[in-house]
Amino acid sequence: MFDSFKTSRHKELPLSKDSSNLFLKIMISIAVFLFAVTLAGVLSINSMLINWNNSILGSLTVQIIPVNDANRQKAAEDALQQQQKVVALLEAMPEVKRAIPLSDEQLKMLLNPWLGDDVDMADLPMPRLIDVKLHHGAEIDYNALAEKLVNVAPQASLDNHKLWLNKLINLASGIKMLALSILILVIGVTSGAIFYTTQTSMGLHKDVIEILHLMGAKDTYIAQQYAFRTAFLGFVGGIIGVVVAIPTIILIARLAQQIEGGIINEMHLSVGGWTAIASLPLFSALVAMQTAYYTVKHTLERMM
Amino acid sequence: MSDIDNMQPIMKMENVSLRYGIGPDVLRNINLELPRGSFYFLTGKSGAGKTSLLSMMYLAQKPSAGRVSIFGNNVNFTIRNSLAMFRRRIGVVFQDFRLLDHVSAFDNVALPLRVCGMSEKEIIVRVNELLRWVEIKRSTMSVTSTLSGGEKQRVAIARAVINRPDFLLADEPTGNVDSDIATKLMKLFVELNKLGTTVVIATHNENLIREFNYPQIHLQNHGVTIIPAEGNGYV
Ligand SMILES: Nc1ncnc2c1ncn2[C@@H]1O[C@H](COP(=O)(O)OP(=O)(O)O)[C@@H](O)[C@H]1O
Ligand SMILES: [Mg+2]
Repeated sequence: MFDSFKTSRHKELPLSKDSSNLFLKIMISIAVFLFAVTLAGVLSINSMLINWNNSILGSLTVQIIPVNDANRQKAAEDALQQQQKVVALLEAMPEVKRAIPLSDEQLKMLLNPWLGDDVDMADLPMPRLIDVKLHHGAEIDYNALAEKLVNVAPQASLDNHKLWLNKLINLASGIKMLALSILILVIGVTSGAIFYTTQTSMGLHKDVIEILHLMGAKDTYIAQQYAFRTAFLGFVGGIIGVVVAIPTIILIARLAQQIEGGIINEMHLSVGGWTAIASLPLFSALVAMQTAYYTVKHTLERMM
Repeated sequence: MSDIDNMQPIMKMENVSLRYGIGPDVLRNINLELPRGSFYFLTGKSGAGKTSLLSMMYLAQKPSAGRVSIFGNNVNFTIRNSLAMFRRRIGVVFQDFRLLDHVSAFDNVALPLRVCGMSEKEIIVRVNELLRWVEIKRSTMSVTSTLSGGEKQRVAIARAVINRPDFLLADEPTGNVDSDIATKLMKLFVELNKLGTTVVIATHNENLIREFNYPQIHLQNHGVTIIPAEGNGYV
């Protein structure tokens, strides 16, 4: 992009006195502030999502609750029949590695801590449980699966906690997508502002630009002066934005930790996340520089 | 520079017309050819179109009709970067100087060298030498807007010749200086012409035209007539 770094020192265009500089600096500060806070949110949601996904990926449990029938015997048989249908359904699914119903012995062991030794299981409406292991990397639409299960076995249901977590994951993913579009929007709006202030400045310095052209300057010579100046504004604005954003992010994290339930506890920024936020001024300088450079090139191409 | 380039006229106009916007023709059906190494005065009443004609020669204007060729290249079919390269071979003294007011005399004169990427070390040597020659001694580093009219004009001339142009155009360059400086500046142009630079100077100054006996491109009724030099020209 630059013929040589040295030429960007030339400052025939008095850009440092442009009145739009203050506007751009403030604009970029605000943009970088919003970007940093949103980025922190995206990164936290991401680490939270990874934790949640790990806890529900790979396995799930289906339970079949016997109907509360006076005829215990019939209810138990019914539950067993439904269990067979559910196992058949699950094993036919490509995502499922294996679906193993828990034996009476295993159920007894599970319930033992609550019921004690001297209870006759046959007297109780025992739920049947099926332990399902998924293939590595396989993902399942829990809502669709729950519906399918009910079709073959009205008494069957998916493990509640996982279903709930899945809904939470969907919500968090939605928020993440929203935040990502805010990031793109912030970049777009800032680039737009740089585009228009650059064009305005070029109108203001029309005479100087014409003289530079008449002296044999190529468009890049002029574009570099704009790119250099705007990169500087982008950097300074970026520093201000980040300096204000960091305490804000810490404050929001503190407030979030006060929410009970352990969900938000999983929300934290990694070292990589903090590094990304700290390097935003470089990013804003780069975006500002590129935008100014191509604005000038684009605008000049329509002159003689 | 290729051999073919060398044989081409420096500048050629074929059936050239120029108008501004939707206004009337300022110049109409101009045919003009400037051989390499020639020297012309450009004369004509105020408003006759001298500046307009020059502006097509220094590639600030494209003709409204007809064909302008510079160094053998039709400007209408020349890409922007090549136009920039041609402009580097053309030195111009503008009627209104067109100096950068917010930078120093030094930076103004250095500009044509900087745009083509010359080293700052060489620039310092060449610019200071030329500024001494045009007698800008004090304040080469102070802002140009503080210079007098005569000083600005000499800075403008220094900027036009700093790059040893193949083609030198001057729009009433002796308007704001007293007559002995005018003669001195003319002698600079003559020297450059002897070194091979093609020169066109727009002027009203009858004394100069008489003293330096060169052919004239005379503008009248939107067209040009060539008035040959009397005798053998300036010696
Ligand atoms: N930029 C311009 N826009 C419109 N009209 C112009 C412009 N420059 C010159 N003219 C007109 O063109 C005519 C020739 O002007 P000019 O070339 O400056 O003549 P000269 O240099 O011989 O005095 C004049 O009538 C002038 O008003
Ligand atoms: Mg004029």
